[in-house]
Amino acid sequence: MHEEILSVGVDIGTSTTQLVFSRLVIENQASSFTVPRINIVEKIVEYRSDIYMTPLKSPAEIDADKVKQIVQNEYSKAGRHPKDISTGAVIITGETARKENANEVLSALSDMAGDFVVATAGPDLESVLAARGAGADTHSKQRRAVVANLDVGGGTTNIGVYDNGRLAGVCCLDIGGRLIKVENGLITYVFPKISALAKKNGISINTGDRADLQTLSRICELMAAQLAQAIECSPKDDIHSSLYTNNGKPLPQGLNINAITYSGGVADCVYGQPDENWLRYGDVGVLLGDAIRKNRDLSKVELLPAAETIRATVVGAGTHTTEISGSTISYDRSLLPIKNVPILRISEEEERSLETIEASIRTQLPLYKTEGKPEQVAIAFTGIGRTGFNDIQALAGAVIRGAQEVINGPFPLLLVIEKDIAKALGHAIKVQLEGKKDVICIDGIATLGGDYIDVGEPIGAGSVLPVVVKTLIFNS
Amino acid sequence: MEKDLKTIIEQVLREMNITPDSVVSAAVAAAIPSSGSESCSVIEDGIIPDVTEVDIRTQYLVKTPENKEAYAELKAYAPCRLGIGKAGARYKTDPALQFRAAHSAAQDAVFSDVDQDFVDRMGLFTVQSQCDSKDIYLTRPDLGRKLSDEAVAVIKEKCAKNPTVQIYVSDGLSSAAVAGNIADLLPGILQGLQSYNINVGTPFFVKYGRVGAMDQISELTGAEVTCVLIGERPGLITAESMSAYIAYKATVGMPEARRTVVSNIHKAGTVPVEAGAHIAEIIKIMLERKASGTDLKL
Repeated sequence: MHEEILSVGVDIGTSTTQLVFSRLVIENQASSFTVPRINIVEKIVEYRSDIYMTPLKSPAEIDADKVKQIVQNEYSKAGRHPKDISTGAVIITGETARKENANEVLSALSDMAGDFVVATAGPDLESVLAARGAGADTHSKQRRAVVANLDVGGGTTNIGVYDNGRLAGVCCLDIGGRLIKVENGLITYVFPKISALAKKNGISINTGDRADLQTLSRICELMAAQLAQAIECSPKDDIHSSLYTNNGKPLPQGLNINAITYSGGVADCVYGQPDENWLRYGDVGVLLGDAIRKNRDLSKVELLPAAETIRATVVGAGTHTTEISGSTISYDRSLLPIKNVPILRISEEEERSLETIEASIRTQLPLYKTEGKPEQVAIAFTGIGRTGFNDIQALAGAVIRGAQEVINGPFPLLLVIEKDIAKALGHAIKVQLEGKKDVICIDGIATLGGDYIDVGEPIGAGSVLPVVVKTLIFNS
Repeated sequence: MEKDLKTIIEQVLREMNITPDSVVSAAVAAAIPSSGSESCSVIEDGIIPDVTEVDIRTQYLVKTPENKEAYAELKAYAPCRLGIGKAGARYKTDPALQFRAAHSAAQDAVFSDVDQDFVDRMGLFTVQSQCDSKDIYLTRPDLGRKLSDEAVAVIKEKCAKNPTVQIYVSDGLSSAAVAGNIADLLPGILQGLQSYNINVGTPFFVKYGRVGAMDQISELTGAEVTCVLIGERPGLITAESMSAYIAYKATVGMPEARRTVVSNIHKAGTVPVEAGAHIAEIIKIMLERKASGTDLKL
């Protein structure tokens, strides 16, 4: 079996808007004589759009119509139609996510994005997507090292750290190339946190000031120094903690980062030669790139090439958001796709006994109601140690007792499990409920409480489902 | 005499140049039972570690590895006897013992019979092929494919006629596979079929059976689909691996290509309960498409 699905990634960032189409190649890697094992074996970025400046109506509002036009235009340039798309993600990143009409833009795009595309934002997810797009995960696995990707964009720097191929931490700082804007030799915009950072170091900067190369370079050096502090290349100063986006958390301590990749618009200025025309983009991106390259603390760790620089996030969104469920699962096609379902997570501790499984589901279910009405929820657990037939029957019983409210409600019973027991558990639940309730039971998917999940229509001759786990919280 | 032996061992150990003197004398002292009375009376409390308890996916014995972590990571994928070091040109003691233990388990799986109590507990009645003993079974594969006259009579008497699906269990080349999987696998399939509302005949156990016996059983019961759960020839990784051979309207003399097989069912392969659920779905698809083996593209 060899199948390809088309995935779209759209990234509407602080400064640029981009789109990629990728092909995800799916193959059954097991022999014909065993239970299938279907995996994504290759991810090919087949079309990269032009890079557009994100159209704004006002500093607080994205121009939704123009964004839609850009996306439509790129679809036709690539010769693709929304109905060809089976998965992917539209994400609004950086400062743009804080615009008033971010959600409106997402809904304007949803009909452009096929049946299964997700719309999501959040700095933690961005950090992951950028790091994967830049190849920090691959570098770290190949070198068995701790690699940080610094995605230095217009409004924010998203840091994602991989340790031997596994995500070790993310954070996001308000450090970026467009936090100071320059027009006709005058400063037209300064992000408040940046003027505070400058002021703390005895530099005054205000809109209307003359754009002085030395002053701006000095401020960019301060910004680069904050990045070095964020990845523990130098000790953190007093102002450092105030620079995290939305009062977010820093990286976990003691990661011992060995190497760095850079992505985002500023990355090309880090990897490239110094640019003579520092005002090329009407902001301090070029200077920030220079400052990062010259920063001694950041130079303490090895600099690795990034697979993608300015396109890292969009490539990450287009190729790394979709997972494939296990190949022995239980579902009814007519119930799919299911989008934006919150995960009700049973902790590993609660999983140890059937009573606590039942209680955990029952006590958590009310948290997922809106205005007292039930919503679709996905009940998730690992399934570790419950592989015997009798274990599965008992587990099915506990889930049924705990989820009685779901069973009596209008939505299907959706279970998301890590270990390979979903088909047997699905059968057990159906039989115990005498086939009177719709049940979707998938495995091979790891989730955390607070995640949201999309489950798509079957692929791979119907044996697997594409799944997007939208993890919004990492450092909590 | 004891003294001579001591000198020889000490000399050999020193020539091999592997141990400092102090260790040599300790080793020698341990190797040669002293004639003194007190040492004979020492009864130790310890036990010899069970070599079969070792998980060879996590065992790495190379003394001076280039990159131990990377090798260990590869080993975690499959239980292969790699990265187990060596003593001169030979295996180390631990891997050598493990190998022999695995080989013995494989032999036991072939030569021992399935515990009759277990078969009874599973609610299966037992019939036999035309083989009278393990020896005949192993030397005469043709007889293992045919049921004894008595077996034919019992099946005719006890089994529901013309079921949609006939499932039965057979020892094949591994009795350990039957003991290790059937308690989870068989109910897994039956429950799966129940969830699809598919009717199943009376399951039973065939002693000294080979895969081909399913054709005769298919004809006898008149089942639309016949499925045998049979022990695979054991290897050195597991002796408990089981296969399911499934065929749509099997007939004696039909081509082997008409069988669909699901193999590698055991606790470290496809876990039996999930394999059972999968087999149930294959049977469902087989019934829908009225085909099996190479005629059925899954």
